[in-house]
Amino acid sequence: MDLIINLTLNGLATGMLIFLLAAGLTLIFGLMDVLNFAHGGLFAWGAYSGLWIYSQTDSFIIGIIGAILTGFLLGIIIEKWIIKPVYGNHVQQILITLGLMLVLSEMLKVIWGPNQITASPPDYLKGSWEIGGIIIIKYRVFIILVGFLIFAGVQYVLKRTKIGLVVRAGVMNKEMVQALGINIQKIFMVVFMIGAGMAALGGVLLGPYSGVIHAGMGMEFAILAFIVVVIGGMGNFKGSVLAAILVGLSGSFMAYYVPDLSLAVNMLLMAIVLIIRPQGLFGAKG
Amino acid sequence: MTAIILVVAAFLLLLPFVYESRNLMILLTQVFVFSIFAMSYDLLLGFTGIVSFGHAMFFGIGAYSIGIFMKRFEPTLGYFLLAVMTTLALTAIVSFIVGLLTLRLKSHFYAMLTLSLSGLFLVLAEKWRSMTYGNDGFTFRVPEMFIDRTNFYLLCLFVMVAVFLILKRFTNSPLGRVLQAIRENEQRTESLGFHVLHYKIAASVVSGVLAGIAGILYAISLRFVNTSVFAMDITLDALLMTIIGGVGTLVGAIIGAGLIEFAHHWLTELAKDHVIFERWIIFFGIIYILVVMFFPKGIVGTLSTLTWKRKKQHAVKKEEKVAG
Repeated sequence: MDLIINLTLNGLATGMLIFLLAAGLTLIFGLMDVLNFAHGGLFAWGAYSGLWIYSQTDSFIIGIIGAILTGFLLGIIIEKWIIKPVYGNHVQQILITLGLMLVLSEMLKVIWGPNQITASPPDYLKGSWEIGGIIIIKYRVFIILVGFLIFAGVQYVLKRTKIGLVVRAGVMNKEMVQALGINIQKIFMVVFMIGAGMAALGGVLLGPYSGVIHAGMGMEFAILAFIVVVIGGMGNFKGSVLAAILVGLSGSFMAYYVPDLSLAVNMLLMAIVLIIRPQGLFGAKG
Repeated sequence: MTAIILVVAAFLLLLPFVYESRNLMILLTQVFVFSIFAMSYDLLLGFTGIVSFGHAMFFGIGAYSIGIFMKRFEPTLGYFLLAVMTTLALTAIVSFIVGLLTLRLKSHFYAMLTLSLSGLFLVLAEKWRSMTYGNDGFTFRVPEMFIDRTNFYLLCLFVMVAVFLILKRFTNSPLGRVLQAIRENEQRTESLGFHVLHYKIAASVVSGVLAGIAGILYAISLRFVNTSVFAMDITLDALLMTIIGGVGTLVGAIIGAGLIEFAHHWLTELAKDHVIFERWIIFFGIIYILVVMFFPKGIVGTLSTLTWKRKKQHAVKKEEKVAG
């Protein structure tokens, strides 16, 4: 029982981190039809910049805020200078965002050096609780909480506010929204910025969770996020959270019981979904 | 154009006999190997318009086949040929299956799926320790005739020229024409009665087999193989080389390979002066992005358009003179 609860919590925490990355990816894809291969780079940038600020100021909260701001800033720059010139051309988009991924991760190595950087949670999140003989690590619960808060927040914005309405309408039919006199370009930028911010938040939360960060982690998590986006259905925000939890849980249980197959299972799942049900497991959109 | 290529080929052929430099020869061998790899990638990207992020998988299959054969059995020519046969068969089968499953998908999904499939091969190479020795890799001995660097240099040069000629012929064949039609307009090609999927699979098989050959040569040149042959970096190299050199030209892939390998060599030496040169790839990343944005045809394509325009202007001026 103890083991199962711990594996579940572990899976949920990893799932939430993947969700933070995948949510932006899926929204950007749904709205702008851009599959951002550089999203993992934003994740890694969030981790490095956030942990650097954390180590300078000694405050984890400021570190998190710093990471999100870095994400926002990079998001704006990337959208404006790199993605915008190639809207509508799929091949160019794929090529350019992958190149951007390369540049982003190399930049990290230039600024912070090529070695791994260690990180640990702040004192108030260290250690664990013991409830009825079951040990629960505080930091995992913290990640799950933050993940759910972000999910609830974004869901609220999407369903209850005007900008959310525009975004949802844009996912369905961009041209129509534009024809109704809404500046969709501005919405694109906001969505890209928020997506980048969420990815950066995921990165900075991952640091103390895994203990070390390195420049290659962006790509590792990006592959997981792609899997999640495909399983959840491209452009489907709710699907992405379910798929992220699924992938996180299957990852943590497989890593315990059949460690050799943990990544392979997720990839096979994605391949099968892509071939049989390209609209995703949870998507109704054809 | 043909004259230039012939002169360069002759020059490269004579080079090892006139100028003795081990380093230069090793470097040029690398250029040839990566030229083959980049040309095979160009067949997909430049001629068929398919963006694959999993090209490293075929490269790795070639590299591991030769490594395992040379390590498990005797490093003789017979086993070398057997390894080549295995590579050809394996890459053809894998590229056929991958193509069959994935090529019907849209470009986004195809890129993503190939990325993760090649990731799967990387995991396989890491986990199958009894065969691959995991991440550490292994060294192996090579057949006697390849020990001499000059011999191997000539072999690589020969294979590169052969691959170039084969691909030149292939892309000008009726099949190649259909591939280019798919690149230009897929729906239209389909509506003209061509079964697009079959043609795409054909391109992917040819490209996969050639990438496997590049992998074999790469492993022999290092006499060592580890999981890095399956890494994303290998695919990225091919991408940088073809895009910067010029897509859809074949010569562009060779020029790109030369540029990047030489720059790698020189810039790593400069790393003693300033650390930024250790991260030399960043310059190419930036150049790559600029090329994709502003010169989607790369060096070769842009140059040939320029000369073509100039010729046209000349022709127009002449006509004006005649008319005037």
